[in-house]
Amino acid sequence: MNDSGRDPGAARNRENVYEVSKLDRGTVIDHLRAGTAVRAASVLRLPPSCPMMLGVNLESERLGRKDIIKIRHYELSEEEAAKVALISPDATLSIIRDFSVAQKIDLHPPIAFRGLIRCTNDVCITHSEGIRGRFFVASHDPVTAACEYCGRHITADHFEFEKNA
Amino acid sequence: MRVSEQDFVGRDVITVSDFRREEILFLLDTAARFENETGTPLAGRVIAALFFEASTRTRLSFESAVGRLGGTSIGFAEAGASSATKGENLSDTVRVVEGYSDLLLLRHPLEGAARLAAEFVDIPVVNCGDGAHQHPTQTFVDLYTMRRECGRLDGLHVVFCGDLRFGRAVHSLVSVLALFNARVTLVSPSFLRLPAEHRHTLESNGVIYNEAPDLESSLAEADVLYMTRVQRERFTDPLEYERFKDTYTLDLNVLKRASDQLAILHPLPRVNEIAREVDGQSHAAYFRQAHYGVAVRKALLALLLGVAGEVPK
Repeated sequence: MNDSGRDPGAARNRENVYEVSKLDRGTVIDHLRAGTAVRAASVLRLPPSCPMMLGVNLESERLGRKDIIKIRHYELSEEEAAKVALISPDATLSIIRDFSVAQKIDLHPPIAFRGLIRCTNDVCITHSEGIRGRFFVASHDPVTAACEYCGRHITADHFEFEKNA
Repeated sequence: MRVSEQDFVGRDVITVSDFRREEILFLLDTAARFENETGTPLAGRVIAALFFEASTRTRLSFESAVGRLGGTSIGFAEAGASSATKGENLSDTVRVVEGYSDLLLLRHPLEGAARLAAEFVDIPVVNCGDGAHQHPTQTFVDLYTMRRECGRLDGLHVVFCGDLRFGRAVHSLVSVLALFNARVTLVSPSFLRLPAEHRHTLESNGVIYNEAPDLESSLAEADVLYMTRVQRERFTDPLEYERFKDTYTLDLNVLKRASDQLAILHPLPRVNEIAREVDGQSHAAYFRQAHYGVAVRKALLALLLGVAGEVPK
């Protein structure tokens, strides 16, 4: 598959080509770092019946290998896009309407944010007081978030995403 | 940038990284002025000390500082004496106490407690230790002691030894040493190694540091040895504590390799990590360090409440 998300190899299977390449309305998350698609998909709050297609370890000129997610009839919220950016800071997000790209965004991790993830420090005050955590991004590669309260640095591999955000 | 007393009025003291080098030096200069001060600039002021966790030096030196400057202290020395036992959360407690006092001293076992408290009240909040996170006033005392004992703050070689993982005094001091071009040696068992975020702070601030397993060989070029206790209260497994509690002991034999000018600091209390025979050595600065705490805390209280200028220069 090339960077457009079209997989020539899959053309042998007509049904498969339709599912992967033609999105009438929805979201394409492209240029996910290889190996992050499953995790990124899991933090989205998709309706149970929402069709979603994942491509993993696809060839990419920019990244070498990449993952891609296509979601039919669902547009990501700002919070969901921010979560994806924390998992895979090089990703791009395209909103598809009427089979064409209505909006394309290069995702970047937020500089500072409230919520999205919870502090992994069990003795952080945020847990006992029942408040949402506040974080700033301390480094970008790998993405590392620092808790504004307890100072704990959390790397992307260890992010525990809020379920209700 | 020039610093004045006005820069401190009404501020919270949550972490040392909230302060610039010039501000820290201003505080230390003010503390020197307050060492023998007997005036009453805090007359009519009420300082609330909420200590949810045990403390001797920090609490008593603050109480001494308040008393010597003519102020009044209220508060409690353990969580059991507060409404926390009835289930009150911290944010409610500090909002109530705000109405009773002009400044809030807070020690709490949970990390980030002081930052959270400061979000809920308008009076200054001073972090007197939040779990294993930060202990900024101890750091000011440590820096004051280093300058008093070594005659300078810049370019010191500081050796940290013991529990570098849970020791909040270590975490606070490490985070500020970059401002003073320090060289750092870290001596600890691997289980009690300095956490990654603090090593990252050293690296990102360009501090030259190394990790060493052996205390004795680390002392030859050291200006300051910062000894720490392995803290039983931070271990969930008592066997693990037993395993590490006596890893390092500073005695006269270990001190043979030390340079003449070495100053030994310790946030205290000590258990076995410094042998009693070291107490009489000129290197031993830890009791003087505890006493300097009063002057530093007098200066800090007076600056935060905007009354430092009432003490003659």
